[in-house]
Amino acid sequence: MKIHVYAALKEHFDPEFELDGVVRDTTELKARLRALNAHAAGLLDICRFAVADGFIDADFKLKEYDTVVIIPPASGG
Amino acid sequence: MIRSSSSPRPVEDNLGLIVAGPIDVQKMVAQAHHPGAGALVLFCGDVRDNNRGRSVVCLEYEAHAALASKLIGEILEEAMHKWDLKVALATHRVGKVAIGETAVVVITSSAHRQEAYAANKYIIDRIKHEAPIWKCEYFADGTHEWGNNCQCHLQTGDPAKHIYESGR
Repeated sequence: MKIHVYAALKEHFDPEFELDGVVRDTTELKARLRALNAHAAGLLDICRFAVADGFIDADFKLKEYDTVVIIPPASGG
Repeated sequence: MIRSSSSPRPVEDNLGLIVAGPIDVQKMVAQAHHPGAGALVLFCGDVRDNNRGRSVVCLEYEAHAALASKLIGEILEEAMHKWDLKVALATHRVGKVAIGETAVVVITSSAHRQEAYAANKYIIDRIKHEAPIWKCEYFADGTHEWGNNCQCHLQTGDPAKHIYESGR
């Protein structure tokens, strides 16, 4: 599974990287990423996720070859 | 760009919704005039030289262009119908933006000014809160920081739910 991260998440992860093994949904994905970098835990909890240019929710079933985009909160202001 | 016609439909312009260089505001204004519009409201989001008591030297914007363009297009389309606009335009810049330069532009045209004002605020509120566009502040002390982002999740408990001054 390919992972793309943006903005503040790039302080914690490479902009693009791959995860091996089974990751069934965004709950499992967040757990895997927290294990990789505990400092990102708070930010990951407020991120949204997207696959194929569409936002996904917690029920979305991820597939091995999906590219998952992790979306931090927008610029606001 | 979205412009009304006998049957309103989205029309792509040559400025794009997400652009890497300076935004041609004058060109956007020229495109926003409409024979049925008595009001045109222009919002420019410019980069200022300070934030929260710190001296800022520039901002850098990053976006997921495909998702941001799709969402901004949907917001413009919704605003067109909600306020019966004649034209709705929005462009957001990415990359480094200097002090005083424009990072985002929203233009709305309508028969009367109330609709153009209300729709313009609605559009920029939603872009700021929802579009996957992020800013990094570069400070005079040499540090930088991604942040000052949407904090609605602290009140709604859901990163996908936002609170707007303009209401929805």
